[in-house]
Amino acid sequence: MSLDSTSSTSADDSPDPASPESVESQLGSVALSEPVAELASAANQVARNGVGFATASEGGDDDEEDADMGGEEGPVGRAEEEVWADYGGVGGLAAAEEVGEGLGGGGVVWGRTNSELEVDEPASPSSSGYAGERGSSGASSGELEIGEVVEDEIQEPRSDGVDGVLDSQASWVPGKRHVDEDDASVSWRKRKKHFFILSHSGKPIYSRYGDEHKLAGFSATLQAIISFVENGGDRVKFVRAGKHQVVFLVKGPIYLVCISCTEEPYDSLRGQLELMYGQMILILTKSVNRCFEKNPKFDMTPLLGGTDVVFSALIHSFSCNPATFLHAYTCLPLALATRQAAVAILQDVADSGVLFAILMCKHKVVSLVGAQKASLHPDDMLLLANFVMSSESFRTSESFSPICLPRYNPMAFLYAYVHYFDVDTYLMLLTTSSDAFYHLKDCRMRIEMVLLKSNVLSEIQRSLLDGGMHVEDLPVDPLPRSSSLPSHLSQPKPPTDSPERFRETCDWIAGPAGLWHFIYRSVFLDQYVSSEFPAPISSPRQQKRLYRAYQKLYASMHEKGIGPHKTQFRRDENYVLLCWVTQDFELYAAFDPLADKALAIKTCNRVCQWVKDVENEIFLLGASPFSW
Amino acid sequence: MARPGNKIIQAKLVLLGDMGTGKTSLVLRFVKGQFFENQEPTIGAAFFTQILSLQEATVKFDIWDTAGQERYHSLAPMYYRGAAAAVVVFDIASKDTFIRAKKWVEELQRQGNSNLVMALVANKSDLEPSREVDTEEGEEFAQENGMFYIETSAKTAENINDLFYEIAQRLAKACPSKPSTMNLNNEVQHRRKLFCCFG
Ligand SMILES: Nc1nc2c(ncn2[C@@H]2O[C@H](COP(=O)(O)OP(=O)(O)OP(=O)(O)O)[C@@H](O)[C@H]2O)c(=O)[nH]1
Ligand SMILES: [Mg+2]
Repeated sequence: MSLDSTSSTSADDSPDPASPESVESQLGSVALSEPVAELASAANQVARNGVGFATASEGGDDDEEDADMGGEEGPVGRAEEEVWADYGGVGGLAAAEEVGEGLGGGGVVWGRTNSELEVDEPASPSSSGYAGERGSSGASSGELEIGEVVEDEIQEPRSDGVDGVLDSQASWVPGKRHVDEDDASVSWRKRKKHFFILSHSGKPIYSRYGDEHKLAGFSATLQAIISFVENGGDRVKFVRAGKHQVVFLVKGPIYLVCISCTEEPYDSLRGQLELMYGQMILILTKSVNRCFEKNPKFDMTPLLGGTDVVFSALIHSFSCNPATFLHAYTCLPLALATRQAAVAILQDVADSGVLFAILMCKHKVVSLVGAQKASLHPDDMLLLANFVMSSESFRTSESFSPICLPRYNPMAFLYAYVHYFDVDTYLMLLTTSSDAFYHLKDCRMRIEMVLLKSNVLSEIQRSLLDGGMHVEDLPVDPLPRSSSLPSHLSQPKPPTDSPERFRETCDWIAGPAGLWHFIYRSVFLDQYVSSEFPAPISSPRQQKRLYRAYQKLYASMHEKGIGPHKTQFRRDENYVLLCWVTQDFELYAAFDPLADKALAIKTCNRVCQWVKDVENEIFLLGASPFSW
Repeated sequence: MARPGNKIIQAKLVLLGDMGTGKTSLVLRFVKGQFFENQEPTIGAAFFTQILSLQEATVKFDIWDTAGQERYHSLAPMYYRGAAAAVVVFDIASKDTFIRAKKWVEELQRQGNSNLVMALVANKSDLEPSREVDTEEGEEFAQENGMFYIETSAKTAENINDLFYEIAQRLAKACPSKPSTMNLNNEVQHRRKLFCCFG
């Protein structure tokens, strides 16, 4: 199958128009009757500082977002304003008017403040909070939701001079920020993207910014909206107000809310809330619901003590890890023989009663084996890897911990033996048996011996330095089978002193036909491969913008009612984006904004061919538990 | 290291106590000689090993450093089951952690293992100015429960070795003395048998 310009079913150079109908139908179905007073008072509470958020401060552009997610700013208050105004418009004018007054002081330009707030280095006063408290004496306060700087590469201080070459993980410090904020803080209201988890009784469980306990009032407000609509037999899914979206997800007694002005599609934000919920289940299992049956006012925050880092790392990954919207995982590129050696030894231990054996390098899979019939969902893998990577504890020593895989069985704990072979590479052995530790430890020692003997661990390190597919290596002559494996993947590179990624930004040019980047997702394998970033998108901020663009494409391609084949071509001031979806694969490609359309399409065909040519090295084939 | 003709004791040791009391810090100080001001909370439980040689025996510790976070409380039996020694830790600068420590001791008592060597550890002794739990109070509670009491600081290393040394001694005493013919290298096949005296 090949892609050409004539077969495009929708060739559209302009961004797709927003679809306000759905918003209206949402709001239209809300029958407001008596709780208007309640809403009005809630709205007053929102407005009580009289701070105006009328200006979107055009930090609304992704460019204004700090590379560090912690620095996202935005006039969230504005969303609330318009939410209430909209409700008022349907049910009662009084509410709308009161809101209008309360927020009347708008017109403030936040531009400068924004850029100051976006500086989010560990040392900044606004990021102190938990980090300090865990220190010495403060530990007794029970405030264990900390975000200390971890020991390894993450500790590197941010340096804007090189932010283009640092892996996003490297420049980003996990942990809760701005705990000193609450909903009365100007800075808090200006954050571009908030995440909240609360209980059905309105008790705060988690907030991305600010101290949950100080946000009790705000949580109650959110709860009021949700239960109000739920009581009417309807479910709030989202409210859209100008640039802002408020997305709700109700999971039994647990409510999740995202307030965002990042212009991400509803489906994407909802998917992110689903992952947040999944992360919570991974830590606690769904049996936490029982606590609410016994006591509706149950306070869940102590149960999540110390997990802020996990959630903030997940939220961070929403903008730097395409797995969060592709629902697929990615592999570390390795020579076939190397991967087979790793698969073989994991298969060996899986046969001895291990449910899943997973060898990973950062967020990439080296190899993965499941016991018979057991299948692991890519989202579970994402959440598990996020949990392990964001919790420093796992790096201290081998450990054995209860974890739950929400897609596998949300009700029960599995037990995870976790061991780091080096700073990047870790092994996870999952079992249903709580006394399997010594067996798993033995398995690990066997695995380690084999990995060392067959040089797998050093190959992993080398692959990490070399990176994956580089667009400039795209074979020029698409006569693949004879000239196959043209990329560096098959040619050992001489070792370099400095990491590869530093070199890249210096002398990289984009690939042929202005190709900057691509993601190829194999539908059958549940895996994707993403090319390395070239110079035009070298900074985390640019990468985030590109991922958001892909995410939007993904959402539009997966709307209901699309056929098996579909293409999309978009051009804006940042890129040309091309998307091609078939039953077998999905290709997302970004080109120079001036790229020629016909050439771009031709290039996409070549990318697909290239991926097929090297699939043995970039994908985990065969032994995947997904295909059973 | 093992002395020839010395008996070898393989002992499972579990650390329990409220979050942030310094369990991980105690272990890291003992096992690796390290201390971190910003030690991260433990997830589930971390496993360490360390060997202590006494005059009369060589003790091989399998150390389970459990997480103090509330969500892991109900899973604690999985880690303390079969333990030969339990170290219950509190922070001298926090009354709450002492109350929590008492609960752990009660829970351990309910297991009815009379051979269990128990230590009550008052950690962070370097924080004397903000002390909330008096030495007498700790000592008294320890005595009532047949534990030994020790004040430590993972930060300054004060009494850390003494703590583990004392435990090792008590284990050695409890373990019938026979000359060992067992080699340390055979540990793998005996790993599952905890607190057994080879010989
Ligand atoms: N001043 C002082 N601080 C200590 C001492 N021991 C530990 N800390 C600090 O107390 C905090 C918590 O220590 P941890 O060792 O993580 O405590 P923990 O009991 O393992 O905590 P959990 O794993 O959450 O149960 C860290 O910031 C340590 O640096 C000590 O003896 N003196
Ligand atoms: Mg600990």
